[in-house]
Amino acid sequence: MEDKRSEIRRLIRDIKSLPTLPGIIVKLGSLAENDKVSSQEMARVVSADQVLSAKVLRLVNSAFYGFPGRVSTVSNALILLGVNVVKSLAITSSIFEIMEKNVVGLWEHSMGVAVAANTLSKTLKLPDAEETATAALLHDIGKVIIKLKLQEDYDELTTIMREKECTMLEAERELLETDHAEIGGWLIQSWLLPEKLIEPVACHHQIEKSSVHQVKTAVVHIADALVKASGFGFSGDPFVPPIHPAAWKKLGLTEALLATVIEDLEGKLVEVKNFSLEIQSNDDPAT
Amino acid sequence: MQKIPITLAAPGMVLAKDVKNSDDPSSMTLCGKGVTLTESLIGRLRQKDIQSVTVEGHPVHEEGEATLEEMLAALDLRFSRVADDELMKKIKALYRDQIQRSMGETGGR
Repeated sequence: MEDKRSEIRRLIRDIKSLPTLPGIIVKLGSLAENDKVSSQEMARVVSADQVLSAKVLRLVNSAFYGFPGRVSTVSNALILLGVNVVKSLAITSSIFEIMEKNVVGLWEHSMGVAVAANTLSKTLKLPDAEETATAALLHDIGKVIIKLKLQEDYDELTTIMREKECTMLEAERELLETDHAEIGGWLIQSWLLPEKLIEPVACHHQIEKSSVHQVKTAVVHIADALVKASGFGFSGDPFVPPIHPAAWKKLGLTEALLATVIEDLEGKLVEVKNFSLEIQSNDDPAT
Repeated sequence: MQKIPITLAAPGMVLAKDVKNSDDPSSMTLCGKGVTLTESLIGRLRQKDIQSVTVEGHPVHEEGEATLEEMLAALDLRFSRVADDELMKKIKALYRDQIQRSMGETGGR
């Protein structure tokens, strides 16, 4: 008999083609693997899909990446952010299309954590802030999958949380024998995204499992806790997860540094909220 | 201090943070902190496409907005599962300060 964890893992493998995932992702993936392909060619592929490029540009120009309103072409976005980020944005905007309407709280939480990861990375002068922010944007993607693909289990999770007064993470581990972090890791692995994006997603609740990309993982781990601490968005339960002392140490954080990050972040979260409201009102007439 | 959309900025409010041309900290400062807003100044900031400003105190009260007590009680709930963790206690204190400042409670103004 198959245990629950293997069953879910198999399920993830089989849903490689989520209905919302456009074929363009596969195309971008194969282009990204080929070093000879210029960002110009890649920009052409993205630009060919009007809806997709509009979404990518909307995300690029949001508060996440610190270029508000200044990126006007996909080609610019590719140069500024790199292929991995643009590819992830293409995926994210497809996935979040469902989330925007169904689970606004989780969408806002994810955007908040992306902004927090970016702010932390920039304050600590860490490399690849954009990539880390992208991993942060995807960090709870496992929760979307649980909600969409394991609906009965999702309902039971809610019951367990209510009866035992536990966190969503604890309920997941009890019921599913795995959790949203691991599930999210499997999922984005199946999309052929690089390890540096997979590890921060898969290990954001168990940073000790991260072996190669410990800094990015630590950033996402702490960014998640900060956004929950400020009560922004809703990711399933209101409880702030503990920050692992090893993550704190790995980044060389101090209280004084964190105080500036928090102040900076609170201001940016106001913008994220506006962005979310704007997206929701823009999308309404179309439905 | 409170961050408000430019549409809610009113003459007499005092800037608590520099207004920058963009998010980039190295960009040009359009208007320094401590400056009292006037009708014409707000007009010029809007012309420059500034979306929001941070002002002293907590001048804008939205309907249904939580009180300081409610905000602190919610903070307690959020940190209830890590109440014994030394590091998390420090982080909670930072957030408590932040909430109090945002409500214009401290800073001697």
